[in-house]
Amino acid sequence: MQPKLIRELVALLGPKAVLSQPEDLMLYEYDGSVELGAPECIVLPSSTREVAEIARLARLYATPLVGRGAGTGLSGGAIARNGGIVIVFSRMNRILEIDGANQRAVVQPGVVNLDLSRAVEHLGLYFAPDPSSQKSCTIGGNVAENSGGPHTLAYGVTTNHVTGLELVLSDGEVVRIGGKTVETLGYDLDGLFVGSEGTLALVTEITVRLSRKPEAVKTLLAVYETLDDTTESVVDITVRAITPAACEMLDGFTLRAVEDFVHAGFPKDCAAVLLIEVEGLTEAVEAQAAEITEVCRLHHAREVRVARDDRERDLLWKGRKNAFGALGRLSPMYYVQDGVIPRTRLPETLRCITEVACKYDLQIGNIFHAGDGNLHPLILFDERDRAQFERVIAAGNEIMKHCIAVGGALTGEHGVGMEKNELMPLMFTPDDLALMQRVRAAFNPTGLLNPGKVLPLGKGCGEIRVLPPPASASTPA
Amino acid sequence: MSRPVQALLTRLEEIVGGARVLTDPEALATRQVDHLRPSAIIQPADAAQTAEVLRFAAGEKLALVPCGGGTKLGIGAPPERYDLALDLSRMNHVLAYDPRDLTLGVEPGMRIENLLRTLSEQKQFLPLAVPFSDRATIGGIVAANSSSPLRHSYGGVRDYCLGMEFVTGEGVISKGGGRVVKNVTGYDLHKLLIGSLGTLAVITRVNFRTFPLPPAQGTFVASFSDAEPAFSFCHAVGESVLAPQIIEVADPGTAHLLFSAETPARIEPQQWSVIITAAGQSSVVDRHARELGRMASAADAIELVPLTDKETSSILARIREFPRLILEAAPAAAIFRIGVLPTAMPFLLGQLSKLAAQNHLDLATLTRASGIVFAAFLPKEENTAPSADLAKAANEVFHACGKPEISASAMLEWCPAEVKRAVGNVWGPPRKDFALMQRVKNVFDPQNVLSPGRFAGGI
Repeated sequence: MQPKLIRELVALLGPKAVLSQPEDLMLYEYDGSVELGAPECIVLPSSTREVAEIARLARLYATPLVGRGAGTGLSGGAIARNGGIVIVFSRMNRILEIDGANQRAVVQPGVVNLDLSRAVEHLGLYFAPDPSSQKSCTIGGNVAENSGGPHTLAYGVTTNHVTGLELVLSDGEVVRIGGKTVETLGYDLDGLFVGSEGTLALVTEITVRLSRKPEAVKTLLAVYETLDDTTESVVDITVRAITPAACEMLDGFTLRAVEDFVHAGFPKDCAAVLLIEVEGLTEAVEAQAAEITEVCRLHHAREVRVARDDRERDLLWKGRKNAFGALGRLSPMYYVQDGVIPRTRLPETLRCITEVACKYDLQIGNIFHAGDGNLHPLILFDERDRAQFERVIAAGNEIMKHCIAVGGALTGEHGVGMEKNELMPLMFTPDDLALMQRVRAAFNPTGLLNPGKVLPLGKGCGEIRVLPPPASASTPA
Repeated sequence: MSRPVQALLTRLEEIVGGARVLTDPEALATRQVDHLRPSAIIQPADAAQTAEVLRFAAGEKLALVPCGGGTKLGIGAPPERYDLALDLSRMNHVLAYDPRDLTLGVEPGMRIENLLRTLSEQKQFLPLAVPFSDRATIGGIVAANSSSPLRHSYGGVRDYCLGMEFVTGEGVISKGGGRVVKNVTGYDLHKLLIGSLGTLAVITRVNFRTFPLPPAQGTFVASFSDAEPAFSFCHAVGESVLAPQIIEVADPGTAHLLFSAETPARIEPQQWSVIITAAGQSSVVDRHARELGRMASAADAIELVPLTDKETSSILARIREFPRLILEAAPAAAIFRIGVLPTAMPFLLGQLSKLAAQNHLDLATLTRASGIVFAAFLPKEENTAPSADLAKAANEVFHACGKPEISASAMLEWCPAEVKRAVGNVWGPPRKDFALMQRVKNVFDPQNVLSPGRFAGGI
């Protein structure tokens, strides 16, 4: 990177907000995925104006610009694949407005997901998207990746909870889209920008919808002796059109790891459990819980247990939300997938994953958002074993192909990033991808915003090619 | 049309078949948009024919307006050019329906009435209680982002539409989203088409998630002497743990329309009315009945009346058909659709009422408590040339909505062509994000083939 660019960034942000020492850069070369990429400079802006100036400089110096929240992403979205500047939003972490009467909040992108829910708790409100990393992930990151979580089954992913954004475009222009109202005029630009993984603009302010906390919550744990019984229960719950707030599945292998780590009270001797939550009015919760219990029993659940109190409920969820970490204790690395299938295809899909694990001689743990068909097979490996790593990728691709073959999708909540961009042709035709590429070019004409993400690199897609600096930029040398 | 018309029509006939290019004046009149008539109506059978028609139209620089039931052609600015109506009513099939998975793929020409009937056989539905329900088609409903009172509990089309296949202005078949209930793969291009009024692409398939029909339903009408207590009641319900399916507020003018024909004698239509529907298990409906009664008294309601099933279906149908009822009663009416925060509603309605009085117009409003106001300005009977009054009021509405204490997002959704011309712009004053929308338009329809000029920002 040109020293002059770093000097300009220091002049703009101050020396403490610009990091370029190798030991600093190392801290930002990874995220929650298995990907790596070294940035050349880290900047920590504190305002929209600074973000806009950074965008202008990045463009002037033809340098890639990659947004980053807490770096918990699982698809490499925050990784500087082609080097350049990583713009870290952790200092832009203020909740700007809480409008309880209209159930809205306006936040900066660096606000931590759970902090927002805590800040509005006294109003009986919360922010519905609840990724497992919600204690550390930021709302800006949630917007970029269109993150989900266990409770998206009933409440939808991030895009269903965003009504307005402030954007910094690739040339530094600041534009607001959407607003606080449920409807605004014109095309649904919020719908386009949420989930665009930092490839269309940088987001500097987010208006979110807050949800009202339900009167009653019941958390059920159904314990099974076979995987087929477990998955058939999920199918039956779906078919009977019962919509729990969450319906999570953990297989026996995962459970044992979780229990050793968290001591949540999961049985260690079963094939799988379903962790099911129902929410709403007391009357509705009672009725749904009874119906779900009946379905689980019908499919030979060994036990259907209802969490007695908040403590037991929190413990079960702690087990679920720390499951990735628990499996991480068993192996140096893991590769987690995020495919989606039609919910009724769960039994055959789980059998397919078991066969794939066997075929490639790999250990796979299964933690699913079963209720909406969102799979998280977690393949354990040791990155020092290159041959094993290649088998991991092959196994992952085989599972993904199965998801698409049954009518599913590549990612339910983690985003495409640099992990699945080459798999996009499994789901989209060259014409579909060309249109997405043109949308990207309309907002990110230089290709400098988060290069190498979402779309396949391929020939002629202009991914890495960047425009030369304009003639007026002859000063940087 | 640039070339001799007959040569163009011959080529179009080759694409869709001779019988599927209509030119008789009676047919053309049904596809008129703001007094403009197309030269022909083209009825493609599938996405491939649609794509071929669009490629041809782009090559010949023809302007084309997609349509289905033709119920919403009056929405939007008058098109700059209009050569062909692309009638999608032949594409009226369910392409995939898996009731077990609660997912659906449907062609754009399918009538909502028929689709809802198919779904109800499986005890399922889509929360699209939209106007002109006997003729409106899925493509038109999505393209106009038709509003449904069920938005209160199920969200808008963007929340339950899973993906779409569409044909761009250049005639390329493309898609966005997918078919499963959870999916964040790639850019959500299909969301851009919702409410785009056919200016970006022609929708050829829409995938939805479906919902189970609730086992029980109960509707209640609370009457108030004024707007203020009516909205306080809505606010109290919103802050409670109750989760009604529908909350609508009708001003006295609208209450009169809703309750007139088969009016339950018990309801006094001269008041502000809050219509609330609760759905779910019968124990849930009973709970709503109890607590709504208590809340209504606390908010100084004149009364809270539970409706019979027959009254419920009649009144919900009237709420659904609100714009149609207004337009049938007063074809010259101007109906705004205004996105507004709940706390700003009473003030906004007060302003609208003043504007109506100042301009010698009657006002009827229907408010979705979650944040949408439909405000109909009706000329008085003796006013035979109301365009100027309506236009003046309309511009004042845009101005009022721009005030910081209201900051609402207003669109003049329904009005006669003369009023459109007099108002200047049914989309209100320009906004900075219109420039971003223009970039989107340039990607999807660079030749400006699709509904040119109908959309916000002159798109």
